[in-house]
Amino acid sequence: MKIIAVIPAYNEGRRVGNVVADVKKYVDEIIVVDDGSTDDTADFAKKAGAIVLQHIENCGAGAATMTGIDAARVLGAQIIITLDADEQHSSDDIPALLEPIKSDTVDIAFANRFGRRNRIPFIRRLFNGLGNVITFAATGKWVSDSQCGFKAFGPKAVGQVDLRMSGYEFCTEIVRESAQHRWRTTDIPAKVIYSEYTLAKGQSFSNGIRTALKILLRSFLR
Amino acid sequence: MEFTAYQIITPLAGFLAIAYAWNLVFKQKKTLWEAILWTVFWGGIVAIAIYPDSLDYLTQITGIKDRENAVLVTTIGVLLFIVFYLIVRIEALEQRQTRVIRKLALKDLDKKSGRN
Repeated sequence: MKIIAVIPAYNEGRRVGNVVADVKKYVDEIIVVDDGSTDDTADFAKKAGAIVLQHIENCGAGAATMTGIDAARVLGAQIIITLDADEQHSSDDIPALLEPIKSDTVDIAFANRFGRRNRIPFIRRLFNGLGNVITFAATGKWVSDSQCGFKAFGPKAVGQVDLRMSGYEFCTEIVRESAQHRWRTTDIPAKVIYSEYTLAKGQSFSNGIRTALKILLRSFLR
Repeated sequence: MEFTAYQIITPLAGFLAIAYAWNLVFKQKKTLWEAILWTVFWGGIVAIAIYPDSLDYLTQITGIKDRENAVLVTTIGVLLFIVFYLIVRIEALEQRQTRVIRKLALKDLDKKSGRN
């Protein structure tokens, strides 16, 4: 089965190369979608061996992920792994995410950063908990870590996923897709590494509110 | 029981909105959950239109009783609708722009992989 990793990246020049190098050993190809970065993200990703696609303007993590998924389909992917470019995920968790997909017991595997002992700041736990509640309100489906970008899509999900939300709301949209298409899902406990950089880069409170409103508006307008 | 024009038009609009939502569910474009939320929302509006007395407690709190205030409230309603419409239009434009940018990026992939 052809496995392709999709990594949306925005101004991650200092980190994306390491992520690509780490992920390489677990997948057949890596697609980095440079989402209108103003630094050398694309160059570092290319040097590390990834296929690089570039958005001419910053559109958001959701749009970049969907571009990567579309490209992976063109390249014949049967399994797609999505992960962040900021080194917060450990590539060593990829085999655990792939296992239920390869054995055809699930269609999508969500990494769960709260499923094992991780040093996660309280404010992050709180925001992610709120994200889970809003996601449940909008989709009717409970996922333990709905806002995590680390996921594995099986063949059925690869064929059906269609994201329209451009920003961070796409995580909720993926849960919606799993409910709509009745994908079999599972949570896999995963490691998370919060560095000072990752914490500083995280969403602000106002961004979180905007994301929540967009989720509710979009789910209402669909 | 005598009905006003508002009490006839609003339930009809609500019924159309609910029917539209469930039609989208059958076409698999909307989830069951979203259709239920949509139905509850429009059901509430229809209920208020048919039984305006259910809002009596609001008039007790706000004191809106005379015609001038009714005009004011209606105007606010119209303005809210315009804001809502503009939000929807902006969302649509944002999505169109994103689609264009994504297509350009994928065109690049086609060139790289020798597809046209």
